[in-house]
Amino acid sequence: MEKCLGIISGANIENNFGALCVHRPVYMLPFAGRYRLIDFSLSNMVNNGIRTVAVYTGEKVRSTMDHVEDGKAWDLNRRFNGLFLFPPVSHGLSAKRTGEIPQYYTTKDFFEQAKEKYVFINHPNILAKVDLTEAFRFFRETDADITFIYKKQQDPFGEYVNTHKMNLADDGAVLNIGTNLGTEREFNMYLKMGFLKKDVFMKLVKEAIERGESDNLLETILMNKQKYKINSYEFTGHVENIRNLKSFYDANLNLLKKDIARELFYTNGTIFTKTKDEPSTLYTEDSVVQNSLVANGCVIEGTVENSIIFRGVKIKKGAIVKNSIIMQKSEIHENAAVINSIMDKQGVVGEDIRIAGSMLMPFIVEKKQVIRKD
Amino acid sequence: MIESKVVAMLLAGGQGSRLKTLTKKIAKPAVPFGGKYRIIDFALSNAANSGIDDIGILTQYKPYLLNSHIGIGSSWDYDRNIGGLRILPPFTSEDGGRWYTGTANAVFENIDFLDEMNPEYVLILSGDHIYKMDYSELLRAHKEKGADVSIAVMEVPWEDASRFGIVNVDEENKIVEFEEKPENPKNNMASMGIYMFDWKELREYLIKDDENPDSDNDFGKNVLPMMLEEGRKMYAWVFDGYWKDVGTVKSYWEANMDLLDPGNSLDIYDKDWRIYTRTRNLPPQYLARGSVVKNALVNEGCYIRGTLKNSILFSDVIIEEDALVVDSVVHSDCVIEKGAKVYRAVISEGMTVKAGEVIGQEGSENIYLVSDEGISVE
Repeated sequence: MEKCLGIISGANIENNFGALCVHRPVYMLPFAGRYRLIDFSLSNMVNNGIRTVAVYTGEKVRSTMDHVEDGKAWDLNRRFNGLFLFPPVSHGLSAKRTGEIPQYYTTKDFFEQAKEKYVFINHPNILAKVDLTEAFRFFRETDADITFIYKKQQDPFGEYVNTHKMNLADDGAVLNIGTNLGTEREFNMYLKMGFLKKDVFMKLVKEAIERGESDNLLETILMNKQKYKINSYEFTGHVENIRNLKSFYDANLNLLKKDIARELFYTNGTIFTKTKDEPSTLYTEDSVVQNSLVANGCVIEGTVENSIIFRGVKIKKGAIVKNSIIMQKSEIHENAAVINSIMDKQGVVGEDIRIAGSMLMPFIVEKKQVIRKD
Repeated sequence: MIESKVVAMLLAGGQGSRLKTLTKKIAKPAVPFGGKYRIIDFALSNAANSGIDDIGILTQYKPYLLNSHIGIGSSWDYDRNIGGLRILPPFTSEDGGRWYTGTANAVFENIDFLDEMNPEYVLILSGDHIYKMDYSELLRAHKEKGADVSIAVMEVPWEDASRFGIVNVDEENKIVEFEEKPENPKNNMASMGIYMFDWKELREYLIKDDENPDSDNDFGKNVLPMMLEEGRKMYAWVFDGYWKDVGTVKSYWEANMDLLDPGNSLDIYDKDWRIYTRTRNLPPQYLARGSVVKNALVNEGCYIRGTLKNSILFSDVIIEEDALVVDSVVHSDCVIEKGAKVYRAVISEGMTVKAGEVIGQEGSENIYLVSDEGISVE
C-alpha cells in the first residue's frame, strides 16, 4: 500500500444536518462517543498501510485543524510523507472555482512530487471497514485504470433513495453510476471510494479544468468512461452512509448492536482520534445504565438507556436520558429528561426540564445552548 | 517565563517486591493504577504541569514495559527540541559496568548528564508514589529560604510514623534531625522522598558520598544526614494533599478504592491538573441491558453484561452475564466469565476468571491477588 496515496475530499459535501453543521464541516460531526466521522476514513487508510494522505478541508477549516493537528493521532506526523491539509484556494484558475476538481488541480505539484503511483479516493461520511489491502490487490491484479468499491445494499423501505447506484456488467465492469430511486429491493450502492492510477487521475483533472464541463471527479470519470478500464470491488461488511440527520442518528444508535460495534471499532485495526486525557467514567450508587455506549471522563448519577454518551458528560441524579446522543461535556441536571434528542457539545439541560423529539426527527440542542426554567 | 533552570531526576528503578506478582514482570512505577494510569504517570504529570522542562528517568529493574509506556514522552508533552525527557539506564564505562547501588548513586552515575544540563536546581522525585504536587511551589519556598536542600514532608498518623523517615524541625521549619524509621518518633512529619537541591551542593556531596566505601549511597540514609551534619541549610516544606506510597497489595487496593469516593482529594477529574498517560485508542465502554454498575470507575473498551459494584475496571475488561464483581480492581484485558463471582480481589492484566468460579470472600479483611501464578491472599 506504500505505492498508494489517500485523498479525503471533505469539500462540497451536501449539508443536511441543520444546526449541527453550522460551524463545522459535515465530516467533523462527532460520532460514537469519542470520534469525528473523518477518524474512520483516516484510520482505515493508516491501518492499511497508506502513508500519505491529502485532506481537502473545505471552507470551515478551523475545527478540522484543531482536531487533525499535524496528524499525530494517526501516526501521520511524519518526516517523510504524512498528512497534507489543503484548505480551498482559487489561485491560478481563470475563474473562482472551488469545486472538487479545481481543488485537486491547485495541488497538482503535490501529486506530481509524490512517489506513489496510485491514488485512493474516499468520502469521510461513508463508514465502512473495507480491507483496502485486499481491494488494492484486486485493483492491481485486474490492471484496471479505476476500481470503484460498492456494497449490495438491501433496501426494502427505500431508506437509501438518492444515494449513488452503480450499474455493472456481468464481468463487474462499471457501466454507469446514477441515483438510486428505490425501485429495487437490493441495489449496488457506490461507497464513494475507489482506486485510480495517478496518471489517469491527473489526466482527468487537467482535462476537466480545460473543458470546464464539470468540477466533480465522478462526473468527469463517467464522461470519459470509454477511455478507461473501470471495474468494481464488492465490500460485504457493514456500511453507514451518513447523509442527513436521520441517518446520523441511526448510525450512532446502530453501535448499540454488538456485531456492528465490533466491526466498526475493531475489524482491520482500531479507530484513532485526538486524545483528551479524560480519566475513567465514574458511575455512582444511583446510576442505572442500560444498552448504552459511554466514553471516558463522564460522571453518571442518573438513568441512561439506548444512548451514546460522549467524553466528559455529566448526568445528575434523577435525570433520564433515553434514545439520545449526548455530545462532549454536555450536562443534564437533576430530574431532567432528555428523550430522542441530540445534544451538541457543551449543551446544558437544567433541573426539571424535559425535552423530547421523535426517533424519526430527534430534538436538537445546539452547541453551548442552555435550556433552563426561568 | 523561564525563572531558573530545574532538572528533575525521577527514580524509577525500584522493584517494589511487597507488591508480589504485580511487579513480577514490571517495575513498580509501571504498575497500573486508577483505571487507566500507571503509577509513574502521577510524578510525570506533576512535573509537566509544574512547568519542568528537563527530566531524566532513572530505570533499572525490568524496564521494558516502563520504557515502552514512556516512549519519547509525548503523552506528557516531553517530546521536545529544547529540553524534554531522557531515559537514563545504568551503563558501562572504561572501568566496567555497574548497577545503580542506591538512590544517590543513581544520580551520581549521571553527573555528566547533569553537568551538561548545567541546572541551578536538581529536583529528586520518586516514580513510586501517587499524589498531585506543584513542584514550582517547592522551588519558590526553597528560594525564599535560601536553602541548600528543601525536603517535601507530610504529616502522617502517629501510629504510622515509625514506618517512615521522620524529619524533626525547629519553628522555622529548618531541619534539625533525621530519624530513619524511629521506634519512638518525636514528630509525625514524614519525608516524601522529594528533594530540591542546589546543584552545586548536591554535586559536591554526591562525590563525597561515593568516596565513602561504607555508604549505602542512599539519599535518606546517607547523603541528607551528612549534609545536615556539615551544617548545610535544610528546610522542610509541608505538603497537605493526597499522597500514597502503595507499598503492599492491600495499600494498593485501598488507594484504588479511594478514587470511588466522589469527594476524594486526589480528584483525577481536575481539569487544571490533568494526569496524563499513554492511550490505547479503544472505543467507548458498553453497558448492556441487564447490567448493574454501582459506584464504579470504568475505562474504555469495557463490555459489561453482569454486575459491578464498588470496583475499578481498567481497559477492555469483559464482564459476562450473571458475573458479579464486588470491591475489586480488575486490570486491562481480563474476562470475568458467566456466573463467576469476584470479591475483594486485584486481578492482574489478561487473566480470565472461569465461568462459575468464585474468588475472594465477601466481608473478609483479606485482599486476593490473582495472577498467572494463582491466588495469593494478603
